[in-house]
Amino acid sequence: MESSCNSVIILIPAKNEVQTVGKVITEIKSKLSATIVVIDDASTDGTINIARSAGATVLSLPFSLGAWGAIQTGLRYAAKYNFKIAITMDADGQHEADSLPILLDAIQQCDVVIGAYPQRGSLSRQVAWQIFRKLSGINLEDLTSGLRAYNNKAIELLTSKSAILLDYQDMGVLILLHTAGLQVIEVPTLMYPRSNGHSRIFNSWLAVIKYMLCTGILCLAHGNYGKKCRIK
Amino acid sequence: MSYQITSAILGICLAAIILWLIRRDHLHSRHGFWWLLIALGVVLLGIFPTFIDKLAIFLGVNYPPTLLFIFGMGMILIKVINIDLHQSDLERKIRMLAQRMAILEEEKED
Repeated sequence: MESSCNSVIILIPAKNEVQTVGKVITEIKSKLSATIVVIDDASTDGTINIARSAGATVLSLPFSLGAWGAIQTGLRYAAKYNFKIAITMDADGQHEADSLPILLDAIQQCDVVIGAYPQRGSLSRQVAWQIFRKLSGINLEDLTSGLRAYNNKAIELLTSKSAILLDYQDMGVLILLHTAGLQVIEVPTLMYPRSNGHSRIFNSWLAVIKYMLCTGILCLAHGNYGKKCRIK
Repeated sequence: MSYQITSAILGICLAAIILWLIRRDHLHSRHGFWWLLIALGVVLLGIFPTFIDKLAIFLGVNYPPTLLFIFGMGMILIKVINIDLHQSDLERKIRMLAQRMAILEEEKED
Protein backbone atom coordinates (compact mmCIF):
# COMPACT_ATOMS: atom_id res chain seq x y z
CA MET A 1 0.00 0.00 0.00
CA GLU A 2 1.20 3.44 -0.91
CA SER A 3 0.32 6.46 1.17
CA SER A 4 -3.35 7.24 1.61
CA CYS A 5 -3.02 10.68 -0.03
CA ASN A 6 -2.57 8.84 -3.30
CA SER A 7 -6.13 8.75 -4.47
CA VAL A 8 -5.84 6.97 -7.82
CA ILE A 9 -5.76 3.23 -8.24
CA ILE A 10 -5.14 1.43 -11.54
CA LEU A 11 -6.90 -1.94 -11.82
CA ILE A 12 -5.66 -4.48 -14.34
CA PRO A 13 -7.62 -7.73 -14.64
CA ALA A 14 -5.31 -10.42 -16.03
CA LYS A 15 -5.75 -14.00 -17.08
CA ASN A 16 -2.73 -15.70 -18.57
CA GLU A 17 -1.15 -12.45 -19.79
CA VAL A 18 2.44 -13.32 -18.88
CA GLN A 19 3.84 -11.78 -22.07
CA THR A 20 2.29 -8.34 -21.72
CA VAL A 21 1.38 -7.62 -18.11
CA GLY A 22 4.92 -6.65 -17.05
CA LYS A 23 5.29 -4.14 -19.87
CA VAL A 24 1.87 -2.63 -19.15
CA ILE A 25 2.79 -2.05 -15.49
CA THR A 26 6.20 -0.53 -16.28
CA GLU A 27 4.63 1.82 -18.78
CA ILE A 28 2.00 3.05 -16.30
CA LYS A 29 4.69 3.58 -13.66
CA SER A 30 6.70 5.74 -16.04
CA LYS A 31 3.71 7.99 -16.73
CA LEU A 32 1.87 8.20 -13.42
CA SER A 33 2.37 7.67 -9.72
CA ALA A 34 -0.58 5.56 -8.66
CA THR A 35 -1.23 2.31 -6.87
CA ILE A 36 -1.30 -0.45 -9.46
CA VAL A 37 -3.31 -3.56 -8.69
CA VAL A 38 -3.34 -6.61 -10.92
CA ILE A 39 -6.28 -8.94 -10.35
CA ASP A 40 -5.25 -12.41 -11.36
CA ASP A 41 -8.29 -14.28 -12.66
CA ALA A 42 -6.92 -17.74 -11.80
CA SER A 43 -4.05 -17.64 -14.30
CA THR A 44 -2.15 -20.82 -14.94
CA ASP A 45 1.03 -19.17 -16.18
CA GLY A 46 3.50 -16.83 -14.44
CA THR A 47 1.26 -13.75 -14.57
CA ILE A 48 1.26 -13.36 -10.76
CA ASN A 49 5.04 -13.42 -10.39
CA ILE A 50 5.67 -11.10 -13.33
CA ALA A 51 3.11 -8.60 -12.05
CA ARG A 52 4.58 -8.72 -8.52
CA SER A 53 8.13 -8.24 -9.68
CA ALA A 54 7.01 -5.33 -11.87
CA GLY A 55 5.85 -3.67 -8.66
CA ALA A 56 2.11 -4.19 -8.69
CA THR A 57 -0.09 -5.39 -5.85
CA VAL A 58 -1.60 -8.71 -6.92
CA LEU A 59 -5.04 -9.94 -5.87
CA SER A 60 -5.26 -13.59 -6.78
CA LEU A 61 -8.71 -15.11 -7.26
CA PRO A 62 -9.12 -18.73 -6.13
CA PHE A 63 -11.03 -19.57 -9.31
CA SER A 64 -11.88 -17.70 -12.49
CA LEU A 65 -14.69 -15.15 -12.13
CA GLY A 66 -14.37 -13.72 -15.63
CA ALA A 67 -13.35 -10.20 -16.61
CA TRP A 68 -16.03 -8.39 -14.64
CA GLY A 69 -15.57 -10.50 -11.51
CA ALA A 70 -11.87 -9.63 -11.57
CA ILE A 71 -12.52 -5.91 -12.07
CA GLN A 72 -15.07 -5.94 -9.27
CA THR A 73 -12.51 -7.51 -6.95
CA GLY A 74 -10.28 -4.54 -7.71
CA LEU A 75 -13.13 -2.08 -7.14
CA ARG A 76 -13.85 -3.74 -3.80
CA TYR A 77 -10.20 -3.29 -2.88
CA ALA A 78 -10.39 0.36 -3.97
CA ALA A 79 -13.50 0.89 -1.83
CA LYS A 80 -11.89 -0.78 1.18
CA TYR A 81 -8.88 1.53 1.02
CA ASN A 82 -10.88 4.68 0.21
CA PHE A 83 -9.44 5.39 -3.20
CA LYS A 84 -11.23 8.28 -4.86
CA ILE A 85 -10.73 7.18 -8.46
CA ALA A 86 -10.27 3.74 -9.99
CA ILE A 87 -9.12 3.24 -13.56
CA THR A 88 -9.51 -0.14 -15.24
CA MET A 89 -7.17 -1.19 -18.01
CA ASP A 90 -6.64 -4.36 -20.03
CA ALA A 91 -3.52 -6.41 -19.39
CA ASP A 92 -2.98 -7.25 -23.06
CA GLY A 93 -1.34 -3.94 -23.90
CA GLN A 94 -4.08 -2.54 -26.12
CA HIS A 95 -4.57 0.54 -23.93
CA GLU A 96 -1.99 3.29 -23.95
CA ALA A 97 -0.70 4.60 -20.64
CA ASP A 98 -0.82 8.04 -22.29
CA SER A 99 -4.62 7.91 -22.11
CA LEU A 100 -4.60 7.85 -18.30
CA PRO A 101 -4.11 11.61 -17.76
CA ILE A 102 -6.95 12.27 -20.25
CA LEU A 103 -9.27 10.02 -18.22
CA LEU A 104 -8.17 11.55 -14.92
CA ASP A 105 -8.85 14.99 -16.30
CA ALA A 106 -12.33 14.07 -17.53
CA ILE A 107 -13.44 12.27 -14.34
CA GLN A 108 -13.40 15.59 -12.44
CA GLN A 109 -16.69 16.54 -14.13
CA CYS A 110 -18.59 13.26 -14.05
CA ASP A 111 -18.90 9.84 -12.38
CA VAL A 112 -17.56 7.52 -15.08
CA VAL A 113 -15.27 8.11 -18.04
CA ILE A 114 -14.94 5.61 -20.86
CA GLY A 115 -11.84 5.65 -23.04
CA ALA A 116 -13.52 5.02 -26.36
CA TYR A 117 -12.11 3.71 -29.59
CA PRO A 118 -15.23 2.67 -31.49
CA GLN A 119 -13.42 2.16 -34.79
CA ARG A 120 -11.91 -1.11 -33.59
CA GLY A 121 -15.06 -3.22 -33.86
CA SER A 122 -15.60 -5.53 -36.81
CA LEU A 123 -18.82 -5.22 -38.83
CA SER A 124 -20.58 -7.97 -36.88
CA ARG A 125 -19.63 -6.33 -33.61
CA GLN A 126 -20.94 -2.97 -34.83
CA VAL A 127 -24.26 -4.64 -35.69
CA ALA A 128 -24.43 -6.26 -32.23
CA TRP A 129 -23.67 -2.94 -30.53
CA GLN A 130 -26.36 -1.19 -32.56
CA ILE A 131 -28.92 -3.77 -31.39
CA PHE A 132 -27.86 -3.34 -27.76
CA ARG A 133 -28.03 0.45 -28.09
CA LYS A 134 -31.58 0.26 -29.43
CA LEU A 135 -32.68 -2.18 -26.74
CA SER A 136 -31.17 -0.37 -23.81
CA GLY A 137 -31.49 3.23 -24.98
CA ILE A 138 -27.84 3.83 -24.07
CA ASN A 139 -26.16 5.86 -26.78
CA LEU A 140 -22.46 5.39 -26.19
CA GLU A 141 -20.01 4.87 -29.04
CA ASP A 142 -17.87 2.21 -27.43
CA LEU A 143 -19.91 -0.20 -25.31
CA THR A 144 -17.20 -2.71 -24.47
CA SER A 145 -14.11 -0.62 -23.80
CA GLY A 146 -12.14 -1.92 -20.83
CA LEU A 147 -10.46 1.44 -20.35
CA ARG A 148 -12.64 3.24 -17.84
CA ALA A 149 -12.35 5.58 -14.88
CA TYR A 150 -14.80 5.39 -11.97
CA ASN A 151 -15.21 7.86 -9.12
CA ASN A 152 -16.09 6.76 -5.57
CA LYS A 153 -19.83 7.03 -6.22
CA ALA A 154 -19.54 4.63 -9.13
CA ILE A 155 -17.22 2.35 -7.15
CA GLU A 156 -19.77 2.12 -4.35
CA LEU A 157 -22.55 1.23 -6.79
CA LEU A 158 -20.50 -1.32 -8.71
CA THR A 159 -19.40 -3.21 -5.60
CA SER A 160 -22.98 -3.50 -4.36
CA LYS A 161 -25.02 -6.69 -4.39
CA SER A 162 -26.79 -5.85 -7.63
CA ALA A 163 -23.55 -5.81 -9.63
CA ILE A 164 -22.19 -9.19 -8.55
CA LEU A 165 -24.09 -11.37 -11.00
CA LEU A 166 -22.91 -9.44 -14.06
CA ASP A 167 -20.50 -11.25 -16.35
CA TYR A 168 -18.99 -8.57 -18.57
CA GLN A 169 -17.87 -4.99 -18.03
CA ASP A 170 -20.19 -3.59 -20.68
CA MET A 171 -23.95 -3.30 -21.08
CA GLY A 172 -24.91 -4.63 -17.67
CA VAL A 173 -22.59 -2.18 -15.94
CA LEU A 174 -23.71 0.72 -18.15
CA ILE A 175 -27.39 -0.04 -17.49
CA LEU A 176 -26.73 -0.18 -13.74
CA LEU A 177 -24.91 3.17 -13.84
CA HIS A 178 -27.70 4.71 -15.88
CA THR A 179 -30.48 3.42 -13.63
CA ALA A 180 -28.67 4.90 -10.64
CA GLY A 181 -28.50 8.25 -12.46
CA LEU A 182 -24.70 8.46 -12.60
CA GLN A 183 -23.17 10.54 -15.34
CA VAL A 184 -21.07 8.71 -17.92
CA ILE A 185 -19.00 10.39 -20.61
CA GLU A 186 -16.74 9.11 -23.34
CA VAL A 187 -13.38 10.50 -24.33
CA PRO A 188 -11.68 9.43 -27.55
CA THR A 189 -8.48 7.45 -26.98
CA LEU A 190 -6.07 5.53 -29.11
CA MET A 191 -5.80 1.77 -28.77
CA TYR A 192 -3.21 -0.62 -30.05
CA PRO A 193 -4.16 -3.89 -31.67
CA ARG A 194 -3.90 -6.63 -29.04
CA SER A 195 -0.34 -7.85 -28.97
CA ASN A 196 -1.33 -11.47 -28.33
CA GLY A 197 -4.26 -11.22 -30.63
CA HIS A 198 -7.40 -12.55 -28.94
CA SER A 199 -10.39 -11.06 -27.23
CA ARG A 200 -11.49 -12.63 -23.99
CA ILE A 201 -15.10 -12.28 -24.99
CA PHE A 202 -14.98 -12.92 -28.72
CA ASN A 203 -12.60 -15.87 -28.77
CA SER A 204 -14.94 -18.51 -30.15
CA TRP A 205 -18.32 -18.67 -31.83
CA LEU A 206 -19.82 -20.38 -28.81
CA ALA A 207 -18.53 -17.60 -26.57
CA VAL A 208 -19.98 -14.99 -28.93
CA ILE A 209 -23.41 -16.65 -28.84
CA LYS A 210 -23.28 -16.90 -25.05
CA TYR A 211 -22.26 -13.26 -24.80
CA MET A 212 -24.97 -12.09 -27.21
CA LEU A 213 -27.65 -14.05 -25.34
CA CYS A 214 -26.59 -12.89 -21.86
CA THR A 215 -26.26 -9.26 -22.89
CA GLY A 216 -29.42 -9.30 -25.01
CA ILE A 217 -31.47 -10.68 -22.12
CA LEU A 218 -29.98 -8.08 -19.76
CA CYS A 219 -30.95 -5.30 -22.17
CA LEU A 220 -34.44 -6.75 -22.57
CA ALA A 221 -34.97 -7.00 -18.84
CA HIS A 222 -33.65 -3.54 -17.96
CA GLY A 223 -34.04 -1.59 -21.18
CA ASN A 224 -36.15 1.42 -21.85
CA TYR A 225 -36.72 0.34 -25.43
CA GLY A 226 -35.45 2.95 -27.81
CA LYS A 227 -36.00 5.90 -25.51
CA LYS A 228 -32.95 8.12 -25.31
CA CYS A 229 -31.37 8.16 -21.91
CA ARG A 230 -29.12 10.54 -20.06
CA ILE A 231 -25.85 8.74 -20.67
CA LYS A 232 -24.06 10.58 -23.43
CA MET B 1 -56.16 -54.11 -3.36
CA SER B 2 -57.82 -50.83 -4.27
CA TYR B 3 -55.98 -48.00 -5.95
CA GLN B 4 -56.66 -45.85 -2.91
CA ILE B 5 -54.43 -48.08 -0.81
CA THR B 6 -51.75 -48.16 -3.55
CA SER B 7 -51.47 -44.36 -3.79
CA ALA B 8 -51.68 -43.97 -0.01
CA ILE B 9 -48.73 -46.36 0.30
CA LEU B 10 -46.85 -44.40 -2.42
CA GLY B 11 -47.43 -41.15 -0.59
CA ILE B 12 -46.39 -42.55 2.76
CA CYS B 13 -43.24 -44.08 1.20
CA LEU B 14 -42.40 -40.67 -0.32
CA ALA B 15 -42.83 -39.01 3.06
CA ALA B 16 -40.71 -41.67 4.74
CA ILE B 17 -37.91 -41.24 2.16
CA ILE B 18 -37.94 -37.46 2.67
CA LEU B 19 -37.74 -37.80 6.45
CA TRP B 20 -34.96 -40.35 6.07
CA LEU B 21 -32.99 -38.01 3.77
CA ILE B 22 -33.33 -35.17 6.28
CA ARG B 23 -32.33 -37.50 9.13
CA ARG B 24 -29.25 -38.57 7.19
CA ASP B 25 -28.38 -34.91 6.58
CA HIS B 26 -28.63 -35.29 2.79
CA LEU B 27 -31.51 -32.86 2.46
CA HIS B 28 -31.91 -29.41 3.97
CA SER B 29 -35.07 -29.36 6.08
CA ARG B 30 -36.16 -26.25 4.16
CA HIS B 31 -36.57 -28.34 0.98
CA GLY B 32 -38.08 -31.17 3.00
CA PHE B 33 -41.19 -29.10 3.67
CA TRP B 34 -42.03 -28.90 -0.04
CA TRP B 35 -41.61 -32.62 -0.58
CA LEU B 36 -43.64 -33.56 2.50
CA LEU B 37 -46.41 -31.36 1.14
CA ILE B 38 -46.23 -33.27 -2.17
CA ALA B 39 -46.36 -36.58 -0.28
CA LEU B 40 -49.41 -35.39 1.62
CA GLY B 41 -51.03 -34.41 -1.70
CA VAL B 42 -50.39 -37.87 -3.14
CA VAL B 43 -51.94 -39.54 -0.10
CA LEU B 44 -55.01 -37.29 -0.03
CA LEU B 45 -55.65 -37.44 -3.79
CA GLY B 46 -55.14 -41.20 -3.68
CA ILE B 47 -57.66 -41.71 -0.92
CA PHE B 48 -60.16 -39.14 -2.21
CA PRO B 49 -59.76 -39.26 -6.03
CA THR B 50 -63.23 -37.78 -6.56
CA PHE B 51 -61.89 -34.45 -5.32
CA ILE B 52 -60.21 -33.90 -8.70
CA ASP B 53 -63.45 -34.69 -10.55
CA LYS B 54 -65.39 -32.22 -8.42
CA LEU B 55 -62.73 -29.54 -8.86
CA ALA B 56 -62.70 -30.15 -12.63
CA ILE B 57 -66.46 -29.71 -12.87
CA PHE B 58 -66.23 -26.58 -10.76
CA LEU B 59 -63.51 -25.13 -13.02
CA GLY B 60 -65.25 -26.21 -16.22
CA VAL B 61 -62.58 -28.74 -17.26
CA ASN B 62 -64.12 -31.49 -19.40
CA TYR B 63 -61.56 -34.20 -18.79
CA PRO B 64 -60.52 -34.20 -15.10
CA PRO B 65 -57.14 -35.99 -15.50
CA THR B 66 -55.79 -33.04 -17.58
CA LEU B 67 -56.36 -30.86 -14.54
CA LEU B 68 -54.19 -33.21 -12.53
CA PHE B 69 -51.41 -33.12 -15.14
CA ILE B 70 -51.48 -29.35 -15.50
CA PHE B 71 -51.46 -28.96 -11.73
CA GLY B 72 -48.51 -31.37 -11.45
CA MET B 73 -46.53 -29.67 -14.19
CA GLY B 74 -47.23 -26.29 -12.63
CA MET B 75 -45.79 -27.49 -9.34
CA ILE B 76 -42.70 -28.82 -11.12
CA LEU B 77 -42.21 -25.47 -12.90
CA ILE B 78 -42.46 -23.57 -9.64
CA LYS B 79 -39.95 -25.92 -8.05
CA VAL B 80 -37.46 -25.61 -10.93
CA ILE B 81 -37.64 -21.81 -11.00
CA ASN B 82 -37.14 -21.87 -7.26
CA ILE B 83 -33.99 -23.97 -7.73
CA ASP B 84 -32.62 -21.48 -10.28
CA LEU B 85 -33.32 -18.57 -7.95
CA HIS B 86 -31.53 -20.35 -5.15
CA GLN B 87 -28.66 -21.20 -7.51
CA SER B 88 -28.30 -17.52 -8.52
CA ASP B 89 -28.22 -16.51 -4.89
CA LEU B 90 -25.48 -19.08 -4.20
CA GLU B 91 -23.51 -17.89 -7.24
CA ARG B 92 -23.70 -14.33 -5.93
CA LYS B 93 -22.45 -15.41 -2.53
CA ILE B 94 -19.64 -17.55 -3.93
CA ARG B 95 -18.39 -14.72 -6.16
CA MET B 96 -18.46 -12.31 -3.22
CA LEU B 97 -16.53 -14.81 -1.09
CA ALA B 98 -13.90 -15.36 -3.79
CA GLN B 99 -13.39 -11.61 -4.17
CA ARG B 100 -13.09 -11.01 -0.44
CA MET B 101 -10.76 -13.96 -0.09
CA ALA B 102 -8.44 -12.61 -2.80
CA ILE B 103 -8.23 -9.28 -0.95
CA LEU B 104 -7.70 -10.91 2.45
CA GLU B 105 -4.94 -13.16 1.13
CA GLU B 106 -3.10 -10.20 -0.30
CA GLU B 107 -3.38 -8.34 3.01
CA LYS B 108 -2.07 -11.32 4.91
CA GLU B 109 1.00 -11.61 2.70
CA ASP B 110 1.89 -7.95 3.21
